[in-house]
Amino acid sequence: MSEWVSYYRSEGPEEDEEGEQQEEGPEAVASYSFSGRDSLIFLVDASKAMFECEGDDVTPFDMTIQCIRNVYTSKIISSDRDLLSVVFYGTEKNKNSADFKHIYVLQELDNPGAKRVLELDKYRGDEGRVLFSKTFGHNADYSLGEALWACSNLFSDVRVKLSHKRIMLFTNEDDPHANDSAKARLARTRAGDLRDTGIILDLMHLKKPGGFDISLFYRDIINIAEDEDLGIQPQESEKLEHLMRKVRAKETKKRTLVRLNLYLNKDLSLSVGVYSLAHKAYKPYPVKLYRETNEPVKTKTRMFNGKTGSLLLPSDTKRAQTYGNRQIVLEKEETEELKRFDSLGLFLIGFKPLSMLKQHHHIRPSQFIYPEESIISGSTTLFNALLIKCLEKEVMALCRYTPRRNVPPRFVALVPQEEEVDEQKVQIAPPGFHVIFLPYADDKRNIDFTEKVPADPEQVDKMKEIIKKLRFKYRTDSFENPVLQQHFRNLEALALDMMEPEQAEDLTMPKAEEMNRRLGNLVEEFKQLVYPPDYNPDGKAAKRKQAADGQAEKRPKVEISKDELRRHVQTGTLGKLTVPVLKDACRLYGLRGGGKKQELMDALTEYFSEH
Amino acid sequence: MARGGKVAIVLCLDVGFTMDSSPPDEESSLEQAKKIMTKFVQRQVFAESRDEVAVVLFGTDGTKNDLASGDQYQNITVHRSLMLPDFDLLEDIQDVIKPGSEQADFLDAIIVCMDLLQKETIGKKYEKRHIELFTDLSSPVSDDQLRIIIDNLKKTGISLQFFLPFPVDVDDAGGGTSASGHSQMHRNSFPRKGLTEQQKKGVDVVRKVMYTLDEVGGLEEIYSFRESLERLSMFKKIERRPMAWPCQLTIGSNLSIRILAYKSVTEEKLKKMWTVVDAKTLRKDDVQKETVYCLNDDDETEVQKDDTIQGFRYGSDIVPFSKEDEEQMKYKTEGKCFSVLGFSRSSQIQRHYYMGNQVLKVFAAKDDENAAVAFSALVHALDELDVVAIVRYAYDRRCNPQVGVAFPYIKDAYECLIYVQLPYMEDLRPYIFSSLKNNKKCIPTADQLSAVDSLIDSMNLIYEDGDGGTFKDLFKPSKIPNPHFQRLYQCLQHKAFHPNEPLPPIEQHLLEMLEMPHVVKERCQAPLEKVKALFPLKEVSKKKEEKTAQDIFKDNTEDGFNPKKPKIEDDEGVFSIIKLAEGSVTSVGSVNPAEDFRILVRRENADFRDVSQQLINRIDQFLENKGSQYYMKGINCIRAFREEAIKLSKVQCFNDFLQALKSKVEDKGLADFWEIMVQDRISLITKDEAGGSSVTSEEAEKFLAPKEKKNETLPPTDEGGDVDDLLDMM
Repeated sequence: MSEWVSYYRSEGPEEDEEGEQQEEGPEAVASYSFSGRDSLIFLVDASKAMFECEGDDVTPFDMTIQCIRNVYTSKIISSDRDLLSVVFYGTEKNKNSADFKHIYVLQELDNPGAKRVLELDKYRGDEGRVLFSKTFGHNADYSLGEALWACSNLFSDVRVKLSHKRIMLFTNEDDPHANDSAKARLARTRAGDLRDTGIILDLMHLKKPGGFDISLFYRDIINIAEDEDLGIQPQESEKLEHLMRKVRAKETKKRTLVRLNLYLNKDLSLSVGVYSLAHKAYKPYPVKLYRETNEPVKTKTRMFNGKTGSLLLPSDTKRAQTYGNRQIVLEKEETEELKRFDSLGLFLIGFKPLSMLKQHHHIRPSQFIYPEESIISGSTTLFNALLIKCLEKEVMALCRYTPRRNVPPRFVALVPQEEEVDEQKVQIAPPGFHVIFLPYADDKRNIDFTEKVPADPEQVDKMKEIIKKLRFKYRTDSFENPVLQQHFRNLEALALDMMEPEQAEDLTMPKAEEMNRRLGNLVEEFKQLVYPPDYNPDGKAAKRKQAADGQAEKRPKVEISKDELRRHVQTGTLGKLTVPVLKDACRLYGLRGGGKKQELMDALTEYFSEH
Repeated sequence: MARGGKVAIVLCLDVGFTMDSSPPDEESSLEQAKKIMTKFVQRQVFAESRDEVAVVLFGTDGTKNDLASGDQYQNITVHRSLMLPDFDLLEDIQDVIKPGSEQADFLDAIIVCMDLLQKETIGKKYEKRHIELFTDLSSPVSDDQLRIIIDNLKKTGISLQFFLPFPVDVDDAGGGTSASGHSQMHRNSFPRKGLTEQQKKGVDVVRKVMYTLDEVGGLEEIYSFRESLERLSMFKKIERRPMAWPCQLTIGSNLSIRILAYKSVTEEKLKKMWTVVDAKTLRKDDVQKETVYCLNDDDETEVQKDDTIQGFRYGSDIVPFSKEDEEQMKYKTEGKCFSVLGFSRSSQIQRHYYMGNQVLKVFAAKDDENAAVAFSALVHALDELDVVAIVRYAYDRRCNPQVGVAFPYIKDAYECLIYVQLPYMEDLRPYIFSSLKNNKKCIPTADQLSAVDSLIDSMNLIYEDGDGGTFKDLFKPSKIPNPHFQRLYQCLQHKAFHPNEPLPPIEQHLLEMLEMPHVVKERCQAPLEKVKALFPLKEVSKKKEEKTAQDIFKDNTEDGFNPKKPKIEDDEGVFSIIKLAEGSVTSVGSVNPAEDFRILVRRENADFRDVSQQLINRIDQFLENKGSQYYMKGINCIRAFREEAIKLSKVQCFNDFLQALKSKVEDKGLADFWEIMVQDRISLITKDEAGGSSVTSEEAEKFLAPKEKKNETLPPTDEGGDVDDLLDMM
């Protein structure tokens, strides 16, 4: 039991110390709290055309607001330090620091919060459209150049350092200043200014009757980030899903976990950036607040000598482990040093066919590498050549990987991936290598397998029918984490003083009714083929479960005599006892031992050394 | 992981005189055998295994065993009875066990071991009993009792492994694959010198024993020393089984199949933690930790823990949310489950989607034929349709549910589903990367491509075995034991016996184990040269910036620092490139903070702001302690900070720090410290010293003047605040 539980314990934010030490993976290094904030302005065309649509479709404006709202809520979950802003242009009313006409700053650059989400919600749907016209009105006499100017003012008005500045422009007008060359020129100049100051301008063009032609105007306006250049322009988005995909790909600044060298041998290397394309999102840590004012409090931890009360600096301490009765003491630096094998980098061992990669050899989520010119110039070409050839020959590269100093090496397989774009010309698979972590011999366990009883073809065929009824297309973004979603909905409800939190739909639950409907009689037919009439797969286990529960309640007390305990302490063989026995013993002597075996043992050792 | 019963193991070592002889430049067989035993016992001791170990030596000068009588069972010594392995045993193996001058029959030794295992395990429960025999097979052997020995081993279920100085070619014995094939190809370092007649006879006996014991796998339990040192092969034999997790696999609400799941692959981590002890007393109890909470105001008013409540950030809002409320409102799982959500084509699940840190193998429940048939139908149906199941998996009521993939895995001996977690939408970071194929600048030429092509061929780790058909893998990471564990155990043992010595160097064989195979290394030389010649690769030097800073720098006599003739006498001269390369410094420590800081800021990729923040934290720590030696340390840190800030053009960073420091002088009662600063004339960096500064020398002078008029306090420089803010306020 202990194994399973210990794994799950270390999964949540309440990670124990060990977990933290281990988990403090490359991510920790790339902590970017000091490098400034990311900022993103949604610049939304609010002219009449955005509110028009054919038939029952959602209007482009509605789609935009929906999309911005999704970004807000996902930012709240994933990166609440980022600054977001919403600016409309083409409105009758205006509100901005330079008093430009027809430009309305709805939300200044600030952290996303519950109130802002609610504000956006007001402008959704038919009612929203009416409210919008009433509040802001429409006017086509805007100047895009001034809108961009207003945006750059927003950036410069922010008091904190911004590391990444981006504007996303949502419109379905491909030639806004067709009849006014002065305004068109101004827009180009402003766009040039933005480019010079490192502000990225993306065009999120939406459906326009007759098609959206970028070459008419926007080709000179948009400013693609250097590291996102696909060499092609994406197509306009007709559906929210497409728009979301485009926006999601760009909403977070891409950051390397680490930049390092890939050594082909000791004097030939290229440099790569390591990225994490999937990283487990956790429930955030709670913050401590002062009860009276609800303001956050600071936490300070000090170490001091229990006897003398004098403050201990880290250098006044050492690290120890005890085996039996023998204490082994190391300097803190030594405990780090013994983890050091290599300098950091990827060291090539050789190549193997892709088919040799075992599907079940998985120990950690993978990472991704992409060439990096900032350490060794010319890396990209060599990287590209390796990628092309690995893809062509269907091989993977085996490497020894040390992501940080003082981390023991791991073997990884570099699996090539070819660049792919979808029908909207949005990149769905970037070019590069996935870094797949491979297990060591210690990481694999021998298992007592159940003897197989092969099914006959008839039984297999019936199961195939069942499977065929329940097929769907898996997509990585199909499932939301119900734990996180519920947590944030609870917070939202509290933040907005709502009576009842909105219940998140749990997408991980099987849709039993729908499944049963689709399967019809197949299940019964299959059961008749494999199970005898009196067999009940649930009953048996349920009974067993009950038995197990009962047992847990009146678990026989494992008694151990004081003398016996003392003997174990003296000979250093406490470790032979099981956790429940140790726990009971601790309870008996009124010791607080914590849940871990070592803690329990320590508590008892301490107790018996004094009594 | 200590599950199930314990194991009783006898390490049976030949110490006869032949074991001590060795060709020049090589370790004797005895030394090699002792190394393996050490590795084995180390693991047992440091992993706090409950297995018990006995040691039997044969070929000893004396005799000590229960069976000895007359001329029977002579020169066999029971060195240690069955008990938990400990440091004494490690010490014994290292120092006490010495070569003898006699020889003894290894079959007799096995009989003594069996006798010991029989007698000493009476009345106790052991999951397994096991003998590990280390010998060079050079002593005379009489096989007249062979039959009895084998029958007894079989009857008692005692398992046996042989460790020999040379690989045994098992092919000509018929059956089994070459157990030593790998090591031959991989290193080829053990000279396969001719065996003596006696050894050949010994090999025959060993083969007979092992083959009769287990026709299929028996011969694979004969290892060479070299191989087992690398692979630690003996551990697999005594490894325990992981826990089973019983559940029902459900498809819809009406179909369920009873299953058992096991963790099959997961990162094995160290079980034992380092505890913090006082450096002087080495006692853990002397170190106590205290956590205080304080308000974020100027006085840092302390508040009681009971006066704090829990809250969470919701974007810009902080929402008070008590533990109880959270518990009540949080998402709840009903209980354990393994429910199929649907089926997808296997190609839709890509390898790099895998999340989590473990792989489960799922089988039908034990002793339930109905479940086994139903499960088998599912596994084969999935396999034949080339689809996978998408599953909701929850370990139990307290655990968060996962969505994962279960795919079929069919082997000769068993069939199962393999389950791996898949990402949630929130886990994904769909970054966009510039296209490589649409970027003309990085398209390789045909020559370059062909150079890479031949490099890949030359570094192929797979080769076809002579008779074709079967492929051999030169480098299998999954067969290599985690070097971290071995290194840790080596260091722990060393420190246990020699507490005051530095850590020993890493063992050579450990490093070799992690290297590219020799064959490949040689084969790829030429193609590598070609690649090197064809691809222009240049290290981007970062020196530029430093140089300009040096140019701007002007001699600052007050600080006594002169870049043209670096001072050798203080720490600064000593630190140098070696330390930079060594990379031993990872953060600004409290022992030599100034030196650490200098090293860290010069590193590539160093973030000056971050490193200097670490230094500032140290300085604050020193100043909180009040006392002249701490003050001097603080002053040294500030000096180092100032010098590096000038050199690396991070003037603002330093000046901001100094401003903030000055503002704290009064609140914190640091007037005496400030006096030292004034005496030493450590002031703001002026624009004469570095280009980035806007401070004139008068201003700098004034800055040090006794504080009276300026009473405004600067906001504390926590990481949230920003330098620009600070400037604006001044």
